[in-house]
Amino acid sequence: MTVSQFDAVESIVETPPTPTPDSDVAAPRQTGGARAAWRAFFRKPAALVFIPLLVFFALVSAIGPFFVDNPVSTIYPKLLPPSPEHWLGTDMLGRDYLARVVYGGQVSLLVGFSVALLCMTIGLIVGGLAGYYGKAMDLVMVKVAEFFQVLPGIVLTLVAAALLGSSIWIIVAILAVTMWPGVARIVRGEAMRISQLGYVESARAAGFGGVHILRSDVIPNLMPPVLVATSMTVGRAILIESGLAYLGVGDPSTPSWGALLNSAQSYMNEAWWLAVFPGACIFLVVLAVNMLGDALNDAFNPTVGRVK
Amino acid sequence: MKAWAIHIGKLLVSSFLLFLAVVTVLFFLLELAPGDPVQSLVGDVPISDAVREQIIAAYGLDQPAIVRYFTYLGNVLRGDLGYSYATNSQPVLDIILGRAGNTLALAVPAFVLSLVGGIVLGSIAARTRRRWLDSGISGTSVALFSVPNFWLGMLLIIVFAIWLDWLPTGGMAPYGQSGIQPQYLVLPVITMATTELAYKTRIMRSSMIESLGQDFIDTARSKGLSSSRVLWRHAMPNALLPMISVAGYSLGFILAGSILIERVFGWPGMGLLFFDAIERKNNMVVLGIVIVLTVTIIVVNILTDLVYGLVDPRLRARLMPQRREVAA
Repeated sequence: MTVSQFDAVESIVETPPTPTPDSDVAAPRQTGGARAAWRAFFRKPAALVFIPLLVFFALVSAIGPFFVDNPVSTIYPKLLPPSPEHWLGTDMLGRDYLARVVYGGQVSLLVGFSVALLCMTIGLIVGGLAGYYGKAMDLVMVKVAEFFQVLPGIVLTLVAAALLGSSIWIIVAILAVTMWPGVARIVRGEAMRISQLGYVESARAAGFGGVHILRSDVIPNLMPPVLVATSMTVGRAILIESGLAYLGVGDPSTPSWGALLNSAQSYMNEAWWLAVFPGACIFLVVLAVNMLGDALNDAFNPTVGRVK
Repeated sequence: MKAWAIHIGKLLVSSFLLFLAVVTVLFFLLELAPGDPVQSLVGDVPISDAVREQIIAAYGLDQPAIVRYFTYLGNVLRGDLGYSYATNSQPVLDIILGRAGNTLALAVPAFVLSLVGGIVLGSIAARTRRRWLDSGISGTSVALFSVPNFWLGMLLIIVFAIWLDWLPTGGMAPYGQSGIQPQYLVLPVITMATTELAYKTRIMRSSMIESLGQDFIDTARSKGLSSSRVLWRHAMPNALLPMISVAGYSLGFILAGSILIERVFGWPGMGLLFFDAIERKNNMVVLGIVIVLTVTIIVVNILTDLVYGLVDPRLRARLMPQRREVAA
């Protein structure tokens, strides 16, 4: 019984119990049930609030730069509080803070979603192979996952970034390397469960190879819990990246929300807005992906986690 | 006792392998670091030619990679974590241990606060029939789980130290005084405890729900026991079992979190030392802190496993069959 950072994800991603081989659960979860579950998901209050919120942040990051000037090129008076001209005030060098927050969001969201996509890809491949084939493959994966459990991700990432350099892509790569076991462990569990089901057996009996079965029978059916784990990974990656940037690790020419907080630290006395707004953005985005992950999980496992 | 010896033996071997793995990864990172190997060990500090020769000899930098690896490993195993060339060539281990007390002064109260709070809040959320209370506690814990911890610290400073002026903004004591004064602990400890509190509440809630759903709870109820007795004597001990491992593992995360929190509050512990070392690229200190952290976490994990073996009746029965015979 081990509990770790990944259980933060796993405690949320609750998967149904494995049916015994002779119980006739041949139907994949994807048919009918899945469509109903997605419908249930989109009707949840969390989805109604947080999907628009995420879309808002994504849109602002994507098209915001067409509307606000690059903060480096336009200079106003220093440390103006929020006002109708400068919605979020100006910073210590007289740059419009709204513009800086918009540009910072690009970096934070890019890191969060790239890391999550990488983790999902690695997790599906490694976890799928480990869960489906078991044995040596499985042992190696479990041991590697255990290694990343021992050292909190932020410590390893800090050291690696300190020694190797801190461009945004190096940080994305290191974060993916330290975080993929979170997704892989869930894929592994699900792949083990699904590979015992009747329709996989019959595919095997029909003579299909392992990779074919994984791709067309196993992986499509384990997507819901994997999406939950991936959405949580987005949140964790954004949190860790902001922590790194707050400690000064990151590309200074493209400051993320965390980097803005780093420079806000020295001005907390006279300019609260410098600390409040970037942090609030991190909080809202991470809250949104966590809440959506929760709601997704509820929709696909409606009975789990309720008091009877 | 034999089963116990095997259990402990396995635990020690796998812990040592994990330690080796961490040191190996650190070694590879050092090898991968671009530029002059002496400078990546030392960091961005100018050093004399004599010191440079010393380092090359001490780390076998003129030897092939495999020799370098075992030299590095040997040094670490002997407790030689190198010297901090940025600060008068003090031994790294001494510097780190000199700061450890300050970090523990934050980490221990934060740990206790998060554990007690998590158990209480999680149990309340699991047991209450008032839906708003359960969703209130659960919702708040997801929210707290999503807050960047260091930002929460900054907000607390702005509100309670700058606007209300109730508590100091940072440090351990008024300027010029030594030691730790209690009012300086309040904000950093609360900040440090928050994320862990949220996480433990969540685990405790689901563990308690599971425990309350077991058959023996129905039995206890049908015997006519009061609901508080059922909760405290029957449901609680079972619900607490997973909390042992959660508590063990959380210490590592609290220590890692201290890197951020100590920077927010200017608290001169290991975390701030790590931050300064990274900022000045004092790499010997950076690597040294990671090794000390790893050892601490591994030792705590071993202790957690042992406590778990002692407390969980299922494991205890498996590990100590003799004692059961005596009892029978």
